[in-house]
Parts: sequence; C-alpha cells; structure tokens
Amino acid sequence: MKFNRHLRNKSGLHLILMVVSLITVAPYFWILSTSLKYRTEVFTPTPKWIPWPINIQNYLEVFQMAPFHLYLINTIIVVTGILAVQLVTITLAAYVFSRKNFWGKEFFFFLFLIQMMIPIHATFLPNFLTLKRFDLLNTRVAMMLPFFASGYGTFLLRQAFRQIPRALEDAAVIDGCGGLRFLWHVLVPLAKPTLIAFSIISIVSHWNDYLWPLIVTDTPDVRTLTIGLGMFVQQESGADWTLLMAATAFVTAPMLIFFLVFQKKFVQSFMLSGMKG
Amino acid sequence: MRRTFRLTTYGYLFPGLFFMGIFTFIPVFMSAYLSLFKWNINNPEPHFTWFSNYIEVFKAPLFWLVLRNNLIYAFTTIPLSMSLALFLAILINQKMGWIRSLYRGSLFYPTMIPMVAAAMLWVWIFNPGLGIFNYYLGFLGFPKIEWLYDMRYALMGIIIMSIWKNFGYYMLIFLAGLQGIPSHYYEAAAIEGATGWKQFRYITFPMLAPATLFVFIVAIISSFQVFDQVFVMTQGGPGDRTNVLVFYIYQHAFRFWDLGMGSTLTTLFILGLLVAIWLVFRVIGRRVYYEV
Repeated sequence: MKFNRHLRNKSGLHLILMVVSLITVAPYFWILSTSLKYRTEVFTPTPKWIPWPINIQNYLEVFQMAPFHLYLINTIIVVTGILAVQLVTITLAAYVFSRKNFWGKEFFFFLFLIQMMIPIHATFLPNFLTLKRFDLLNTRVAMMLPFFASGYGTFLLRQAFRQIPRALEDAAVIDGCGGLRFLWHVLVPLAKPTLIAFSIISIVSHWNDYLWPLIVTDTPDVRTLTIGLGMFVQQESGADWTLLMAATAFVTAPMLIFFLVFQKKFVQSFMLSGMKG
Repeated sequence: MRRTFRLTTYGYLFPGLFFMGIFTFIPVFMSAYLSLFKWNINNPEPHFTWFSNYIEVFKAPLFWLVLRNNLIYAFTTIPLSMSLALFLAILINQKMGWIRSLYRGSLFYPTMIPMVAAAMLWVWIFNPGLGIFNYYLGFLGFPKIEWLYDMRYALMGIIIMSIWKNFGYYMLIFLAGLQGIPSHYYEAAAIEGATGWKQFRYITFPMLAPATLFVFIVAIISSFQVFDQVFVMTQGGPGDRTNVLVFYIYQHAFRFWDLGMGSTLTTLFILGLLVAIWLVFRVIGRRVYYEV
C-alpha cells in the first residue's frame, strides 16, 4: 500500500516536470525546425514540428547576407578581453578585502557593493559621452571598458579567499612567500572553483550583451553576434522566417553547445553565483 | 588586526576602483549634473536651467505611462517567475536519479540564450497568423490574439517571454539553497510529527531566506533594466504600451538626441533603483539569517 502511494506521488511529480520541461524546450526546438525548412513549408495550417525535407541552404544564405563569422570573432575577442581584465581586477581587490585591514576598508567595500546595484543600463548615456570624448566609439575596446571592474566578482572571490585558513598565510610568510607571490601561488589555486564559476557567468552574460554594444557601435567590422542578429532582423523585415530562425539558431548555438558539453560545470557555477553573502 | 595605511594595499584596489570610478561613479554624478541643463537639438550648447527638466519629466503623461508599464512588468514577472522557480526547485530536489539533470537542463537552458535571440524567437511564436502560440491557445478555446500588435496584449506577450527566459536561473539558485539544508532537520521534524506544509513553513522557507533575498534583488534589478526584448519585439509600441524606463531613456538620448532629458531620466532611474534595493534590505534583509 505504502509503496503504491509512493509511486503515485512520484508519477505526479514526473508528470508536472515533464510537461513544464516540454513547454520550455518547445520554443527552441521550433527555432531549429523552422530554420531547416523550405520557405513554403512554413505556411502550414498545423505546425509542422519535424522539417522534411531538410534544407540546410538557409544557413549558407544567412552567411552570404551578413558577415556572421566576423561577428563571431568580434564576440570572442570582446568576451575574452573583458574576462581577462576582470580576473586581474577582482583578484587583486578580493585579496586585500579578505586579508588586509586598512583605513577606509568599509568605505571601499561599500563602493564595490554599490557597483553591483548600478548596471550599465542605468549609466549608458554618460558612458557614451565619456567614450565619445576620448574618441573610442566604434571600437572593440569600447564594448569592454565599462565591464573591467566587477563588484560582484570581487565579492564572490572575497568569500572564497576568506575560507582559506589564515595559518596558510603565516606558513607562507615564514617561508618568504608574501604579498603577490602568496596570492598567486596559494590563494588563486585554492579559489579555482570560484574563479571558474565567475568566468563562466561573465562569459555567458557578456556573450549576450545587447544594449551597450548597440550604443557604441555602428559599423559591421566591430559588431558582435547579438548586434549582428538585430541588424539582420531589420534588414530582413520582409520576414523570411526560415532565414531569421537560421540566424537566431546560429547566434544561440555556441553557448548552448558549451552548456550541453559542460552542463555540470555550468550548473554548479550558476548555483554558486547565488550563494550566501 | 591593526589598521594600516600602506600604499601597496591601495595599489591592489586601484585597478578595480579606477574602472569603477570612470564607468559607474563619475557617470552617476555626471548625469546628475547634466540633468540641470537644457541640451538638445534646439540647444546644441548646454545651458543651465535648474530643475526645469525634472518638472518637464513629471509633467509628461508619457513618463507616467512608462513608469506604469515598468511597474506592471515588475509586479507580474517577479512574483510569477519566483514562485514558479521555487515550486520547480522543490520538485527537482526530490530523489529521482539521472533524469534530474535532464529536467534541470531543459528548464535552465533559456538563461544561456541571448535575450535578443530569445526575443526574435518569440516574435515568431507570437506571430498572429502562423505562430504556434495562437495555434495551441486555440485548442483551449482562446480567440486569435494579435499579441505584439495589440495595445492590450503586447506587454503581456513581453512578460510571458521574460518569465520563460528568467525563471530557470532563479530555480537554480533556489535549488542551491535547498541542497544546503541539512537533511537531519527534516528527520527531526518528522519524528516530532511535522509533515508536508509544516516542514515547508518552519524549515524550508526560513532556511531558504538568503537564496530568496538574492533572487529577489536580482529580479528587481533585471526587471528595471528590461530593454532588449522591447527593442526587438515592439520598439515600445503599440501606442507606447510596452515602453519601459530604459527604452524611454534610450529614446530620449539616441532617437531625439535630448541629452539633458536623457540625463534627468538616468538620474531618476538610478535613484529609484537604489531606493528600491535599500527598501528591500530594510524590510526583509534584517530578517534573513546569514552564516558568515
């Protein structure tokens, strides 16, 4: 009896989860399906989920119409550029916040916390004016600059550094390994999981940036994938859905493939991102 | 430990503070300063007008409509996506073996998709004639709706796609919180005779408080920075029914080139955001138990 009830409970659970999962996955399946159809196959009275015959031509056509390979390279440059500088700034700041006691510590830490609360969406206008003054519009660096400091990353890493026992530091100092060398040889390797988590989150969020690159670029040479997609949509406003969905699928593909391959790492990283302060 | 005043310490802080100063803090003061100037197509040289921009903002009926739209968006997406996320996190946290990662992946993957691409996808799904949304709603007896082209439903369309895009991330944070609750709490509660709802009310809910606070803050910030989906799906229309704060600022700054007004709106936006977050911390933050 008890076992039966258990089974019934579980089947209800799986039913709910399966229905919700299907509903969330369906939209993406629909992109792929549409992107592989012939133009005429789109206009069916009932949705045709499985495209047949399959048409890969759409993807080739998209590449002929807009330089998506260039957009991809630009995106990779921007995202890695941001991450590289971020890793330096957050590591140095997190180190002093977790290990040193100095005048103004609370004040400076407060500044880092506030920065978390003020997204680029709240400051894009003055930032645009600043970059214009320094003649940096329409460059890849312009797309990276506002993200070089990360209050959030600093906070996350400070938590990780604080959990590393102080005795290690004393031992290291006695062995003549202080300051930067201690940071590099002891703290950084021990905080690797947090650094990886932050990197994944940073890559995903800047891969998906739209507003800021939209504002500071207006030539294809420096545009990123998301901007390229937005432009493609305007250029293709005649609504050829097979082409639009092929472009959309291409733009989403890199992150989703990464996610599928490293699902566990991604999930752990995003879980860690909300861990207690 | 003794407080020190060593230059090297501040040297470590400098790179972060430098970029933060130039791209976050100076802009805050810069927009506050520029908000006191008339600076637009008609006045190419900025000239000082005290608070006239603010008066103009508050007098514009469109500003209040935009604010209303954004508040509707916030007050629907935040509770709906948070409760959906919490509910699914509790379900997924049950023992179920390998299939858990399949569910988790299929609920979380929208977080990986750029908002622009997701918006594009939903324009296609909401398409009045060919879209699958109307098709399947038809089964449930709904009439055909012109979603993004109808003043009454456009904002709802954007809300639906935003919930789809965001709840998976919140679910994951809740899941992390749930996994941090020691199972012996539940065992002890079961011995005392507390089951189901009572376990949720007196163990799960309070132990999840830090995760909930985090999700809440993230949700507030993201619901006031909504832009990408509006830009792609509706451009603020029809009839400004999907115009939201960031899009409104964008319009003033980069469509009308009214930089004074843009700065005024930016200043109000930052103030509003900080006050909202401060309120959340005041009201619920101090009830949250933290292990440091």
